[in-house]
Parts: sequence; structure tokens; C-alpha cells
Amino acid sequence: MARLMTGIVLFLFALTGAAQTVEDQQFKEAGVCARCHVISVVEWGMSRHSKAGINCVACHGESKGHVKDERNNIKPQHIPRGAAIAGLCADCHKNGCPKTQQKASCQDCHHSHALVDPKKPAVAKDPHFEEISARWERFSSLVRQGEVEVKAEKWQAAYAAFQQALKEKPGDRYATERMRMCQRRMNPSLPGFEIVGKEFDPQTGLPRQVRVARWGIPMVLVPGGEFEMGSERFTGAKPVHTVRVGPFYLGEYELTQAEWKSLMGSNPSEHQGAKYPESDRMPVEQVSWEDCQSLLRKLNEGVPGGGFRLPTEAEWEYAARAGGGTEEGAQWSEPRPVGKGQPNTLGLFDMRGNVWEWSSSLYRPYPYVASDGREEADAPGLRVLRGGGYVEWAAWIDPGARHSERPNRRLGSNGMRLARSVPGEP
Amino acid sequence: MLKTGNPTRREFLAACSAGLLAGRGFGAPRDFQAPALREFQRGGMVYRRLGQTDIDVSLLSFGSHTDPADRLPAAQGKTVLTPTGQARRDRIIAHAFDLGVNLLDVYASEGQWEPAARLVRGRRDKILISLAHEITPKDIDLAVKLFDYVDLYRFAAYGIDQPVLEKWDLLRKAKEAGKIRAIGVSVHTESLMTMALDELEGLDYVILPYNFIQARAGYSQFLPQAMRKGVGLIAMKPLASGSIMKLDPRARAGAKPESENFELLGQRAGKLVLPAAVADLTASLSRMPDETLCMAAMRFVYSRPFLSAALTGMFEGQLLDDNYKALTRYWEMRPEEQSALGAAKRLANLRGASWLRPEYRWLEEEWHG
Repeated sequence: MARLMTGIVLFLFALTGAAQTVEDQQFKEAGVCARCHVISVVEWGMSRHSKAGINCVACHGESKGHVKDERNNIKPQHIPRGAAIAGLCADCHKNGCPKTQQKASCQDCHHSHALVDPKKPAVAKDPHFEEISARWERFSSLVRQGEVEVKAEKWQAAYAAFQQALKEKPGDRYATERMRMCQRRMNPSLPGFEIVGKEFDPQTGLPRQVRVARWGIPMVLVPGGEFEMGSERFTGAKPVHTVRVGPFYLGEYELTQAEWKSLMGSNPSEHQGAKYPESDRMPVEQVSWEDCQSLLRKLNEGVPGGGFRLPTEAEWEYAARAGGGTEEGAQWSEPRPVGKGQPNTLGLFDMRGNVWEWSSSLYRPYPYVASDGREEADAPGLRVLRGGGYVEWAAWIDPGARHSERPNRRLGSNGMRLARSVPGEP
Repeated sequence: MLKTGNPTRREFLAACSAGLLAGRGFGAPRDFQAPALREFQRGGMVYRRLGQTDIDVSLLSFGSHTDPADRLPAAQGKTVLTPTGQARRDRIIAHAFDLGVNLLDVYASEGQWEPAARLVRGRRDKILISLAHEITPKDIDLAVKLFDYVDLYRFAAYGIDQPVLEKWDLLRKAKEAGKIRAIGVSVHTESLMTMALDELEGLDYVILPYNFIQARAGYSQFLPQAMRKGVGLIAMKPLASGSIMKLDPRARAGAKPESENFELLGQRAGKLVLPAAVADLTASLSRMPDETLCMAAMRFVYSRPFLSAALTGMFEGQLLDDNYKALTRYWEMRPEEQSALGAAKRLANLRGASWLRPEYRWLEEEWHG
């Protein structure tokens, strides 16, 4: 009996092993491609192509760059589409399809990696699927209509179209954002801001450039988005991870000594006086995080809507990365007046170098999670500084680099840049 | 302060954190026990972990000071060594490396960065470089150019003020940028040590003066706090800048024994009476013929489990060999060693600050303070 049982077990093992071996063999043949393109490799394994020795490289090229790039920023050498696919097929099937003799549009019947039987009857249509398809069609059509109205700057009509679209697909983020954009364009004024120029962000509908009412501090819109936060160059900035930030306004320049003085009545900066005739335009330095909070309190009391704050470190990094730029403001003997270099593509000056800029965030390990308490204003701990300073190495002029300091410390190269969420919105 | 007989490990640990201040009436907090550092041995050398860093330093480490007899003045108030002096120093350092010494402390002001860089080239993975004093981005860049990276970087703190905080900020940034592995300060007074613990963010290690005579000053506040925070501790001046050598009646040629000074004093006073401490010391030392006072002094420092290394300047190969030999069975101090150290301490006390070399006499006040 025991021998019989052992035999059965061994037989089952052998069967599983054989099946496993075939699949393993296919994955082995597909090589490195099998690491990510599992489904495609399975499909390819089912087709006769695998038996004919036509592998991934035959159609897509060696694609060494794509293989090395885990983030998939580098595409394969060839991704044949349309007629190009038929061209590849014709390399072997010189007389066209063995069954239909068709020489073009192979994918009318066949999938890209597998053979599909053209004679197989189509799946019966599901009424629920039909309904969803119809609603999707109506939604798409309304969104298209909305976009036409947007192009014609008919905000009311566009708003109505997106509102209708939202009824077809409740909760859709795109339609919701477009509705908000139309609302903003219908009523562009923002409490506490004076709009400068006539440029509006096409995605958010918010004015690109504004000035803080009464104080005249210029600010620039940073449209929100998703980005890769962190840097592999610094131990404290690992790991790189994805973070999403909403739209907000950020000071066009680092806060200047003149602006600090007009708000606070005193100037704590080291680089001032007769030796520095341009000191009014130089960034304020030697300010602590707590000093910045005092300034913000004062500003919020005097400006309708309030809401002025320091940027979170995620916002700061997003603005620095989204704006690009190659300025290197390090290893100078002193800070320079703001706005002397080139702005980044968002219109922000001195995001790389000049003075370090306080952020609102507590210095905590990554990943950055805004809701984990690191944005609490009253929590004790070190606060993050960003942007690199005039005195240090160029290596620090990196959007991912983070430094920290105690909130009550006033060090020479630490300044600030004003931030504000979109006023009047949560 | 030191128990006679063979103390158990537990007794010894307790004595280390508490006993040093016994002479001044202080004791360590009762709820505190010094945690032992990670330690291992390779050949005759003992290595200990430096605080919470990932650096293991040799218990006997090579100090930065060069032999004053070999120094020549150089630009900007710095000094360099004569060619023969440099060659001798290089030879001693190379011998120290052979013995397992893995930490080399180097002063730029004594013109030693370049010679040290030459010596450690090709064995950076085995030798740790400790630098001091010069703290500007350019200095740090020069150090990185010479040594690839710096293992330990510190400055001597004589107060914690704005310029010191700025310097410290720069060190932190250099560490974060991967140029330096551990950052610290060398401090001479306990109040400043405690302040450094409180004020210097990310402090990896403190270098503090520590020898069996100086130990009377205690550090009852500082040591428990430093150990709780996991800050690494390195002893400097374990031989009080060579002054302990002078206390030895059998001191080698060139280091005039302190007892001779007493003899001279006695002759001037018309009577030749040596203090009892000299007789005690001579008697104690005669009971340990294979060991000098300096070796016993080094063993005192080695036996403190909270210290990662003893950093001492060595101008002669003989001194290096003695310090190395003293590592053998460093844990238990023998009664005759303890009585010799006791007698030497009494002798130093009789002399007041003058037992120290003139340029270090200010330390006596600091140590008492």
C-alpha cells in the first residue's frame, strides 16, 4: 500500500514538474522580458511563434536601454503598430495569411502576441456592458463639448457641459477639476491677492502671477501634480517615492530683507548696512523657523483670507523639480540680491542656492506622508530646510537635498520663501 | 576610587560610571549603568564601536601632535616637521598600523595632512582618518581630495556660540553629503561637554581629556548623559601630554623625573627629604618590574569600558610598544598598579599645576573645575 501511495505521489510530482518545465522553458526563452511582461510572454508561449523561434528581440529589437530602465522611461527599440505589424508578419508569411491570404491588417484577427481563432464566435453582448458603454460615450462626448467651450473661453457653457458629464460618471476627478477651473475663470479674484497680468493656468484656471495685497510680495502659481520625491544622493533623502501635491502659490523670490523689515520692523540679517548697498533686495537670513512663524502670523492678520505659511517640503521639492533650472548658487562669499539669475520654468528665482529656505515640515524619515504629524505646527523637533545655501557645496544645490535645524536657531544662511494654499478653497 | 583586589565585571562597570568622582564626593545616578560598547579583538589589538556610528576604532589610537623637537615654523603660523622628524614619525605610524592601530588623528596646523594621506593611500579601507580644526567648505573639500572621505571630523570647542553653531551646521551638511562619516568635538571642561550634548544636533562623538590624575574631575553629569545618548567617547591626553612620564622615577632619558625636582627643592631648603609619595611610588613600581607608570596609566584608560579609544601622541617607537603591550589583559588592574597610580596621583597633587608641562597648566584648573 505504502509503495502504491509513494508511486502515486511521485507520478503527480512528475506531472506537475513536466507542466512546470514547459512554462519555465518558455519564460527562460523569453529571458529578461519575462520579468515584467508576464502576460505577453504567456501569450507568446501559446502561439506558434515560440516554436518557430521568433522571440521578443525579433520584433522589438534588443532594447538594452529599456531592459536597464526599471522606471520604463526608455521604451523598447521597436513597438510595431498598424501596417508595421503586417510588415513583420510578411517576413515569414510571404504569401499572406495561410488561411485568408490577407496581407495587411493581421491584427483584425490576431492578437499581437498570440494567435486568436478568427472563426471563434464573438462573445454575446452583456446588457450591463452595453449600458456602461453608452454612458461612457455620453460622458466622453460631454467632456469633448466642454473642452470646445473652454477653448472658446465660454466658461458658463463649459461648466454646464462638465456638470452634465459628472452626472454620467459621478465622482470623476477630471470633470470635477474642470468644473472647478471654469468656476475660477468665471470669478478669478482671490482674497488677499492682486492678480498680475492676464495669464491663467489652463489646468486649474488660477492666475499665474499674483501679488500679496498691501505688501506687494510677488507670488507664482505652482500647479499641483505628482512627482518622484527624494534623492539617491543623500542618505536622509532616501527612498525616492511618489508624492502628490495640490496647487498652491509660492513666493517668486526668497523673502527679502526689505520685506522682512517692513513686516517685522527689524532686520536680523548679517549682510546689511553700508557694505551691502543692495541689501534691501538680498534675501533675509539668520532667521529661525519660529521667527518665520511670527512673520506669518503678522501677515495673516493683515491680509484678507490669511493662509500664508511656509511651503511643506513636498511642495518645495515639487516646485523645484517641476521648474527645472540649472542655477548653482553655492560657494559664494555672501548671498546675492534675489532675482539676479534665471528663473526656473515656473518663474521662481533662486530655488537652487542663495539661502536655505525653511519649510513647514518636521524632519522625519521618508516616505513623506503629510498626514503623519510631520506638518503639525506645534510638534517639537527639527524642521526641514531646502534649497542649499551660498556658503556650501554645489552638491547641496539639489532639489532632493534636505537639511534640518532646530526651530529656534538663527543661522547665517537660513532664510524663507512665502507659500499660500489657493485662497478661499479647502 | 579603584577597588583593590579583582572586581567583578558588574562592580567594574558600576565603578566606571560612578567611581571617578568619588574623590570629589560625587556619584553616578543610581539608576544608571554604563552600557558596554561592542568590542572585539584582532591579534593583540582591541577594537570598540564608536557610539552609535558604524565605526570600530582601535583602543590604542595615534594622536595628532608631532614632536616639538622636530618642528619647523611654516606659513600662517603653522609648523612642519624636519625631513628626519617626518621620516621618524612616518616610521612610527607605519609600525602602529602593523600593530593594528586603525585611527590616525591628523592636524593640518602641524603640516600633517599630506604626509598622512601618503601613508594611508591604498589602505583607506583599514585606516580611519580623524581630522580637526579647519572647518570651511574648502578645507573639507581639500581633506576629501586627499583622503577620499574623512572618517572623523571635529573641532575644538571652547564655547557654544553662533560661530560654533555655524561650523557645526557645516559639518552636519558635509556628513549628510557623504564627505564625513562621523562628526564630533574635542572639549576640555565638563560644563561645555554637557552643553555640546544638548546643543549640537547629531553629535557622534566627544574627545575629552582623560587620565588617572584628571579622572578626579569626574564628569558625573556628562558621562551618563553621553552614554544614554549613545555618543562615542574618545580619551585624549591619557598620559597628560607626557607629564605622567615625568612622574615616573624611572623615567627614560629626556623626561626628567618629577622626583628630581623635589630633590632640588629639598637641596635648596637645606634638607634632602623626598615626599613619602615618591617612596611609595618607587616601592609600587618595584613590585611591577615589567611595567612602567605610563603603561599602568594607559591600562587605567583602556579599562574604562565607555571609552572607545585612547588617543595619544607617540614620538618614540618605544612608547608605542609600551602602549601596545599595556593592552594585554587590559581589563583587570592589579593591586600594585593601582597603588602605583595612587602614589603618582599624590605626587602630582603635591606639585600643584606644575606637574604638567607649562603649556598645559591651564588644564589643571579646567580639570578641577
